[in-house]
Amino acid sequence: MSVSMVTAGSYLETLLQGQPRLPSSPLAWLNQLRADAVDRAGTLKVPPTRDEEWRFTDISPLAKLSFQPVRAVSSLQTADVERFCPEEAAIRLVFIDGVYAPRLSTPSNEATDLGLVVTNLSSAVSAHATAIEPHLGRHAGFQDNVFAALNTAFLHDGALIIAPRNAAVEKPVHLLFVATQKEAASHPRCLLIAESGSAVTVVEDYVALQEEAYVTNAVTEIALADNARVDHIRVQRDSTEAFHIANCAVSLARASRYQSVSVALGARISRYNLNVRLAAEGAECAVDGLALITGRQLADTHTCIDHAQPHGVSRQSHKCIVDGAAHAVFNGKIMVRPGAQRTDSSQSSRNLLLNAKARVDTKPQLEIFADDVKCAHGATVGQLDNEEIFYLKSRGLSEIAARNLLTYAFGAEIIDRISIASLKHRLEQTVLEQTRKN
Amino acid sequence: MSAVLQNLVNQPYKHGFVTEIESDVAPRGLNEDTIRLISAKKNEPAWLLEFRLKAYQQWLKMEEPKWPNVTYPKIDFQAISYYSAPKPKQKLSSMDEVDPELLRTFEKLGVPMHERAALAGVAVDVIFDSVSVATTYKQKLAEVGIIFCSISEAVQMHPDLVKQYLGAVVPVGDNYYAALNSAVFTDGTFCFLPKGVKCPMDLSTYFRINTEESGQFERTLIIAEEDASVSYLEGCTAPKFDTNQLHAAVVELVALDNADIKYSTVQNWYAGDENGLGGIYNFVTKRGLAKGVNSRVSWTQVETGSAITWKYPSCILQGDNSVGEFYSVAVTNNYQQADTGTKMVHLGKNTRSTIVSKGISAGHSNNSYRGLVRIAPTAAGARNYSQCDSMLIGDQCGANTFPYIQVRNHSAKVEHEASTSKIGEDQLFYFAQRGIGNEEAVSMIINGFCKDVFQQLPMEFAVEATKLLGFKLEGSVG
Repeated sequence: MSVSMVTAGSYLETLLQGQPRLPSSPLAWLNQLRADAVDRAGTLKVPPTRDEEWRFTDISPLAKLSFQPVRAVSSLQTADVERFCPEEAAIRLVFIDGVYAPRLSTPSNEATDLGLVVTNLSSAVSAHATAIEPHLGRHAGFQDNVFAALNTAFLHDGALIIAPRNAAVEKPVHLLFVATQKEAASHPRCLLIAESGSAVTVVEDYVALQEEAYVTNAVTEIALADNARVDHIRVQRDSTEAFHIANCAVSLARASRYQSVSVALGARISRYNLNVRLAAEGAECAVDGLALITGRQLADTHTCIDHAQPHGVSRQSHKCIVDGAAHAVFNGKIMVRPGAQRTDSSQSSRNLLLNAKARVDTKPQLEIFADDVKCAHGATVGQLDNEEIFYLKSRGLSEIAARNLLTYAFGAEIIDRISIASLKHRLEQTVLEQTRKN
Repeated sequence: MSAVLQNLVNQPYKHGFVTEIESDVAPRGLNEDTIRLISAKKNEPAWLLEFRLKAYQQWLKMEEPKWPNVTYPKIDFQAISYYSAPKPKQKLSSMDEVDPELLRTFEKLGVPMHERAALAGVAVDVIFDSVSVATTYKQKLAEVGIIFCSISEAVQMHPDLVKQYLGAVVPVGDNYYAALNSAVFTDGTFCFLPKGVKCPMDLSTYFRINTEESGQFERTLIIAEEDASVSYLEGCTAPKFDTNQLHAAVVELVALDNADIKYSTVQNWYAGDENGLGGIYNFVTKRGLAKGVNSRVSWTQVETGSAITWKYPSCILQGDNSVGEFYSVAVTNNYQQADTGTKMVHLGKNTRSTIVSKGISAGHSNNSYRGLVRIAPTAAGARNYSQCDSMLIGDQCGANTFPYIQVRNHSAKVEHEASTSKIGEDQLFYFAQRGIGNEEAVSMIINGFCKDVFQQLPMEFAVEATKLLGFKLEGSVG
């Protein structure tokens, strides 16, 4: 085939190359899932901006690069990644360009860690097959999502966390995804199963060692059983040349609680889809997000909080700090299905524009089909308040210092909700540094 | 005041009411010949025929919009007859012949006795008063130089004005239904306010007396020149029946420097029966261009009728310091569907817009607010405040909010808030405790909920709209 024949359709084919070389799994259902995803990816297209879901995010630059499957060579040492690791997290899985790096990882020891399973998927898939089967690929649907389909097609390895019944795991689990290769396409996969009454904190962390163009296409599935608690912290500090596409699907059982903070700092174009389904009575979620972008970055967050059953509670706060000619997109949907009475839901989208060329498109969205509910949402777009700047100046701060302090305070509200002290501190430093660059 | 103009406004029934027996209905279907026929029947100048044909060509290339949150069977555009000469309605000889259901509605709404007959279509010559009142109004308008007539009349008498402004705000290819309207519109209203003229009365007052038959594809064009101002009310609180299921109107407003246009709508078209059978499809494009500095375009709407409502009265804030407003109450009951909201496009400096939208859904209905606030890079210091509240009555209905906020200027401030509530047991209990029955209590709560919008309506309509809402929601609570 000549080069000029490469169109959007065959672009997907190039992304799928290498897929047939994946070793087949001992589990028939997993092979079937993968085959279904390959079929599905073959029929889907890279979404154009005509697609309402992608209206503000033009990912055509992605199709212009020739991405290769990952070449599995890595000579990284622990010292290379140490700076990304919060000291609180003793249990750690490291993936280099999407490939599990056992030398850098410290999986859990089931005997000493309350039976907590933290390991790579392929090595545990046989031992935990019965636990995995009802969840893997069941929450993150790929019927109309080309990127989830691609990820599932490449589903071979990934991170697996199983918090056993009534285990309250105190120490956070760190999942570190390091990008090292130029023009490589990686498909990280995480599965977190929180059994009934368990509690666990997980940090999903995407970092880059160099400023290169690559594509990360991640899928995370989180299933909470009755009364489980999950604290999910997601940090995306990819290279500002990279493309980061991620789908996260969360399913909540009765009286479970999901709490998430996602921070997007990197990537040329990033897109994070978070779908939280409150599938049983009394489930609760708190979803917070911060995008801090500048230059020509684009950060797009699409969330859907689906209240399917009564007595659900959800709270969401999403903030964007947009500098340079960057572009922030937020689409937050709150759905209250028929019969989901006594739902209490609130959502806010707040955006700070720091530069004349910065741009924000936000769309908080309510779809309500039950009458006895409390739902509210709000959105603001604005800039730093002149009176607040004046007040700080009257206290002896320079104009720049006052602006930086106010910008920092705007973002710190979200970062404050991160429960891991060292990570919180590091991110606060990052926000401060970012504001100081101006 | 020119004699021609005076003559013109004093001849209310000249057009449309002459009998053209030989061919007053065009054959069903839409093609270029139909459009040429419409144009010829109306004796239109060549440029207008071109305008129509251009719209038709665009329409052929377009697809019916799929994005609104409404469902309905596919419309067969070839099964519609696009032209019929307006006929005088069959007049009834006395109030006794009027449908008792309609009379009950009038009673509920508190429509004044002398107007009931006129609204029900009883021959108006028995009500001497209204006719003379209408004539007096026409004279008053003509005296100050306001042109106020049907759009077909305006095409004949003021072709330059119509040519200049028709399609200036809503281009022929703007959207599917606007293109269709541009191709086949048969009549509508034209209103022109010359420089410095403040309209001496609410144009609503005029309409209440002269309830005209509006066509299926209505076209309205209102132009306010520098420093002019007008308040216009379309529609009527009384329920309106029509045999045409599809209504696709286009309304264009143009406000020049310091001009002020206030456009109010009360829509109560037939909504179908309680099982969702029948009812009007109301697919309307309304847009106001605040072209001049300090100009103001204000929309107020009370949407209670139609099986499906699909309309977004919008403001293009082009002039510096121009102001756009949108106040809306949309009520849906039974199987009604409403997808309505507004667009505020800020282009000029220091432009300001306010959106207040109240949606009430009951029964099995679905009520969506869809709004756009766009701040262009040129709109320095732009300001928007939006508030969208929904109220649900019953657990079978839906309320949706889709606000799009697009900001490309860092000195702009945009705020949006939305909430959802219901009529609580405790609220009803409190009323009951004070000796107020359920029905009245609901009506009072709803009125409190919609107060911000009703305040914007001309006085007498505010009173009727209040009652209309209570009437619409009768029996849906408790």
